[in-house]
Amino acid sequence: MSPAQPSPNPGNHKARCDAKPLTAEELELFARLSRQQIPTGALTRLWAVGSTQARISMTYLAAWLRSGFSDQEEKERLRGEAHLAAGLKLLATMGYLRGAVMKVGQILANLPEVVPEEIAETLGALHFEAQPMHYAMVREVFLDELGHAPEAIFAEFDKKAFAAASLGQVHRARLRSGEEVAVKVQYPHMARTIKADLANLRFLLKPLTRARDWQCLREGLRDVEEMLGREADYRQEAQFCRAAGQLFAAEADGVVIPKVYEQFSSRKILTMDYLPGLHLKDFLATDPPQAARDHYAELLATVSLRFYYRGHCLFADPHPGNFLFMPDGRLGVVDFGCTREFTEREWQLQSDLEEAFFAGDTPTIRRLIAETCYLDPGEDDLSDTLSCALAWQLEPMISEGLFDWSDGEFFRRGVAIYGELIRKRLTRGMPHYIWTNRFLFGFRAISYRLRGRNAFAERHRLEKGSAGRDLSA
Amino acid sequence: MRITEQAKQDNRAAILKAAGELFAEKGFESTTTRDIALRAGLAVGTMFNYFPSKETMAMSMVNEALLAGVADYNALRSGAEELGEELFLFIACGLRRLQPMHAFIGPVLEKSLSPFQKKATCAEGNSAREAHLGAIGGIITGHGHLPAPDFLAVHLYWSLYLGILAFWSRDESPHQDATKAVIDYSLTLFVNMLDPTDPGAAEELP
Repeated sequence: MSPAQPSPNPGNHKARCDAKPLTAEELELFARLSRQQIPTGALTRLWAVGSTQARISMTYLAAWLRSGFSDQEEKERLRGEAHLAAGLKLLATMGYLRGAVMKVGQILANLPEVVPEEIAETLGALHFEAQPMHYAMVREVFLDELGHAPEAIFAEFDKKAFAAASLGQVHRARLRSGEEVAVKVQYPHMARTIKADLANLRFLLKPLTRARDWQCLREGLRDVEEMLGREADYRQEAQFCRAAGQLFAAEADGVVIPKVYEQFSSRKILTMDYLPGLHLKDFLATDPPQAARDHYAELLATVSLRFYYRGHCLFADPHPGNFLFMPDGRLGVVDFGCTREFTEREWQLQSDLEEAFFAGDTPTIRRLIAETCYLDPGEDDLSDTLSCALAWQLEPMISEGLFDWSDGEFFRRGVAIYGELIRKRLTRGMPHYIWTNRFLFGFRAISYRLRGRNAFAERHRLEKGSAGRDLSA
Repeated sequence: MRITEQAKQDNRAAILKAAGELFAEKGFESTTTRDIALRAGLAVGTMFNYFPSKETMAMSMVNEALLAGVADYNALRSGAEELGEELFLFIACGLRRLQPMHAFIGPVLEKSLSPFQKKATCAEGNSAREAHLGAIGGIITGHGHLPAPDFLAVHLYWSLYLGILAFWSRDESPHQDATKAVIDYSLTLFVNMLDPTDPGAAEELP
């Protein structure tokens, strides 16, 4: 999509910001770090950090580090950079760190991608991958967790996994009572390895302790660690799955949340209804008509807004593998491992900020931005850019009529604004922003790839109009 | 007085049972042969007719567990496994049978299977090694990777396996989960060493 193309969306409320391009030195550093040697060949599968996404995130580490030091501290900066280069090499040898690297990349940059074209593709594969398990390993997990091998529990169990999942993989099976199920199995020792990897990462980030935003980064890391810890306990996911099922109980919603089978689930095994359907890529390969694209864009909007407004939580891992375009026109949603609930304070601040935006109350917006992004008095420049980011986030909610998610111009503006935040080295903010950004960009990236349209503002009013309730209640 | 073959078997079983209980209760080092004889209801002298040392008792238990593991492996093996998976299955079946000895068996394995010993310190240890490597050789040749496991491959495998055993014996993670990841990664390395062109069992999932 060329920048010259006009935007199909109403232009009255566009968020604009004078984003500056990266300097030549920054571009050179990005390029250099992107070429860091990553293990190739057979070992690539073992050391799962060789993805483009991870490398992009790593370059943010570099950019952030670089911008954290003034010219007078050039020597210190170079030392830090050398440390980082060594760190990147070490990262490549950490078995399971890819997801953590990506998440940390997001903390540092508040944006996981560089250019609009890459948003969809990169986010499409954004998930934590474990090494695939053969059946002998799967059986061991079953023996430890449920006391029996899969063949003793299920009427049928497909030994070959059909999909990767957060921290594990998914097998098809049939219960003895006849139900078709999807069984998620976690790679052994995942939770502890993540903990160890994050401890290593903290060590690698030591050069940043002198940087101004270190405290904030540390808070963010703690939040990531907590989320990863929860993601590694499938019982928590089962709980979210049940609660999500209540949010979409009505047939008319057109959204399906799989039922969890407790007796065949544990901390590392999760047995749920098998949902038939196509993933986004396969659905798009059928060249669906615009009406079908619009229909699913509406369902995606319903899912994101309902989680937010009624559940007071974020479906924070909205990658395409977690959505199924079902043959009967419904949208299946799976994998609730990465669900982030708002605390009462976070929810109140989010709501107040949104209300202030809709009311055009600039002083309140600035006050709340300063409070949530830890701005000091006088940081007006940052406050301006953050206001732009907020306007871009909420733009679809005030754009009446059909919102066209295939609008490249809309995405480019978003990227420019977030790029500007990176350039200004704003990485401060309450920890939940890691997840709101992931949630926002994830859903928007899927809608962009879908090339769907929907009356988002109207759907927003509908979902917001219902009384909210805590998902854990 | 002559005793029947059945009585011999019973005595042997009683000694191993008593030794197993005491090793688990007091640890291997703190258990004496006298304790074992007392628990088994036999005279110490009689007991030595069956086992010359407590190391031999422990390694006999290990051998029996590993034999049971081989039987499990044979029952579970489908024949469709890739080399890495089959080796994993073989090792995992053995470790599952060794599980009841997890708390005390580390020092025994170290003494009896150490690769630093020029001569086998315990015949049972030697036979455990030979039986295990024989089975592994069969698995490797069964997958057509080598006409016969050569010296280097066997040496590397045995080093890896002892490393796995050492890791397992110290592994305090629930269900010794960490060991499973170590076996998996070690075997992928080993299989890759045998045939670097083999894409391996690790297949990308959608």
